[in-house]
Amino acid sequence: MEALQNRFLAANTQVLGVSIDSIYCHVNWAMSLGGISFPLLADFHPKGAVASSYGLYLEDAGIDDRATVIIDADGVVRHVSSVTPSGKRDIAELAALCEEVNEAHESTLKSFPDPPGLEADTVLFVRSNCMFSTNAVAALGNLHIDTIPIRNVSEDPAALADLEALAGKGQAPCLVVGNNSMHEAADIMKYFAERTTDIGG
Amino acid sequence: MISVGDIAPSFTLKDHFGRSISLDMFKGRRHVMLLFYPLDFTPT
Repeated sequence: MEALQNRFLAANTQVLGVSIDSIYCHVNWAMSLGGISFPLLADFHPKGAVASSYGLYLEDAGIDDRATVIIDADGVVRHVSSVTPSGKRDIAELAALCEEVNEAHESTLKSFPDPPGLEADTVLFVRSNCMFSTNAVAALGNLHIDTIPIRNVSEDPAALADLEALAGKGQAPCLVVGNNSMHEAADIMKYFAERTTDIGG
Repeated sequence: MISVGDIAPSFTLKDHFGRSISLDMFKGRRHVMLLFYPLDFTPT
């Protein structure tokens, strides 16, 4: 799954997955596949609205078709195909199509600025049996980041003491970066993605 | 269904990191391949 992204990025093509599932369903599914860092978009509410605008929402079944749309950097549709929900995409064929689209544009494309990366003194504090902690850890997994210490305050009294000293309270999850702390899992997930990928929000 | 040559409908959706991702942010920078699929936790 993840190898896919690099192959397409080489042709200046951003891969975006789209289904009617929620963000948190995407988080866990992506983890079950070994981690997915390219965006999985939640066309969740109103359900299937974007798929409908492309004519790819299957009203009766309440799901999206398994379909691929290639859009060039000018915003023009260059390819549309469906393999039906139970079918399988031909990735090699799609990669060749993207390379073809890219050939006409390559010289005029601007690149995204490089992401700033994570600070050296970043620590993620989590607790057990907490879905917010699980989601924060999953974001690291999906981004393939293994350089951030993860400390569990439910299991490690020293971690709890350190968290209280750093953040003023023992509430987890908490992302501590230097003198700053962040408690909302949603903010933590976004922070990781924005600091490490070039399409930051 | 949309067709080749159409202007792609614009959109802004949240991704699985909670970022707002819009089609417009890629304009002039990258081509976009949208992979629509039925449901998470089903064969890809």
